[in-house]
Amino acid sequence: MSLAALAWALALAGLCALAWAMHRRARLFERLHAETRRKLEQLQREFERFAPPDLVERLTDGQGDAAPQRRQVTMLFADLRGFTALCDRLDPAMTVSLLNEYFRHMSEAIQRHHGHITELVGDGLLALFGAPEANPWQRRDSVLAALDMRAALAAYNERLAAQGLPRLRFGIGIHTGEVIVGVMGAGELNKFTVTGDAVNVASRVEGLTRDHGVDLLVTADVRAGLDERFRLREMPPVQVKGKPDPVRTFHVERAEAGAAPAGSRDAGAA
Amino acid sequence: MTRLLDEIPWSEPLLAPDIDPAWEAELRRRGGNGSEVDRRVAPSPWIREACLGVNTGRASEIPAHLFSVAALVTSQENACRYCYGANRAYMKNLGYSEAYIRRIETEAHLAELNGRERALVAFCRNLARSRPRPARAEFDGLVRLGYAPAAAREIALWIALGCFYNRVTILLAAPPEQGYEKWVEAKARWFALIGPLTRWQAARRRRGKPDPALSADVLGAGPYGTVLAPLARLPGARIMKDALDGAFASRVLSRATKALMFAIVARSLGCRASETEARRLLAAEGIGEAEADQALATLSFARLPADEAQLLPWVRETVHVQIARIQARTRDLAGALGAPAALEAVGVAALANATVRLAMLVE
Repeated sequence: MSLAALAWALALAGLCALAWAMHRRARLFERLHAETRRKLEQLQREFERFAPPDLVERLTDGQGDAAPQRRQVTMLFADLRGFTALCDRLDPAMTVSLLNEYFRHMSEAIQRHHGHITELVGDGLLALFGAPEANPWQRRDSVLAALDMRAALAAYNERLAAQGLPRLRFGIGIHTGEVIVGVMGAGELNKFTVTGDAVNVASRVEGLTRDHGVDLLVTADVRAGLDERFRLREMPPVQVKGKPDPVRTFHVERAEAGAAPAGSRDAGAA
Repeated sequence: MTRLLDEIPWSEPLLAPDIDPAWEAELRRRGGNGSEVDRRVAPSPWIREACLGVNTGRASEIPAHLFSVAALVTSQENACRYCYGANRAYMKNLGYSEAYIRRIETEAHLAELNGRERALVAFCRNLARSRPRPARAEFDGLVRLGYAPAAAREIALWIALGCFYNRVTILLAAPPEQGYEKWVEAKARWFALIGPLTRWQAARRRRGKPDPALSADVLGAGPYGTVLAPLARLPGARIMKDALDGAFASRVLSRATKALMFAIVARSLGCRASETEARRLLAAEGIGEAEADQALATLSFARLPADEAQLLPWVRETVHVQIARIQARTRDLAGALGAPAALEAVGVAALANATVRLAMLVE
């Protein structure tokens, strides 16, 4: 074999080795990418348990939309009645199981109508309609969600009763208004939430359900987004802390065929 | 994160196939393939024409390779099992390797693309997803990166048409073309070998003799003319024009219902221009501003026939779809409306989504 042929052979072998090494490197990178993607997906799914999926998607994509914004949002506060006393009577594991199941049913009803639960405090929850995504039908959605929550709680109570467990009761308050939305917190504890006067009003309206002896109240601002498919009963206006004027609230039910249209004042209003 | 093919839920088909031998012969003559979708939309003249147009339409400004990538990405982003599977199989038919397609799906291929191509893929994903809402600036961004305005408009048009087709197949739960997918899979090595030739042929066919392009004046007349007029001289514009004219001329659903469906999709996507156009159509039906405001605020309108009124809250769910949920809701709707009206509703919802997405870019 001539020297030239040997040199060619060596060069060819070198090229083949280089190609093989590059091929292996490419395969390695592909595996690495697949593994990174798998982990990212896993992380995203886990993260979606703590924040609305749309927000997680944006944060993952590196979009800056999580920056605070002032916008119209409808807030739904729900709180279990007498649950603290119930906790004292029930086994802790049973209490948590009961509560988790309750939250699962409520969460399904809320998500079905484009809402996001943003806070769980004890046996209470705060759901947002219109954040993080704008929602032109947020008032209607929030009330539909509340009506579904009522139906879901009734069904859940049937199961609880069949097991010899106490029935649950809740109060829901809904208000809409301009608030600041964004990721708030400090240090290691941050969350997507809302702040503003309208949030306080929604919370106070939820509190009013006790005074009026009803399970669901909405404010006049929410009522404006409802049509004749909802039957509204106006409650006596009540002065609430931090508001100069009394707050008008309405109890809501699904209208039967031929019912009075939204906004009409039932003769027998409480 | 965008889903892969085997992660997309899919239910049983909404409608049974409608075998019409005359239409099938016509389909074959015009280059259609008699797909599962073609058979299910056959009873509606305007929907079947639009679907055939999307399948056989030609692009004059976009390179064939990017056209295929854009179609795959759009269908993946819309989580359309039917289109995604068919586009995937078609790319393999064109000789693209499984590894390459996988890289597109997982966005790993972005590293292989230049800045312009990356921008195009991002544009496809954003417009299809529309969350957050795309805007004129994104369209202008493509032009700044060196795409001719006509090419950028054509890209937007085809993504919109892709959204139309994706929604038709999603809402009908069209059964995936598994026969074709399996056939391509079995012959993948052979296709890889002759890939360059197949791609060349396909590119030639796509670029072939397009139908005479329509002028801005022709496109501008009729429903959503303001959205269509900028698409003058693009071959695909005719598909959109014919679909809009056909949808609003059809008597299966009332014009007021259709205009309200467009308005709801427009409001859902925050597109003022589209809502204005829909209000113009509503005004022509005798529905004034106050009534339109009330209908749009409550997703109900007492003057519509009772069964058609159900379409207002439903169409809103077609904007950002959750596959299992929207297919279940559409099934309920079809049960109440009957097959002809359900098919018409699917077509109108799909067209509204396509039109408004296009309008967002000219707003």
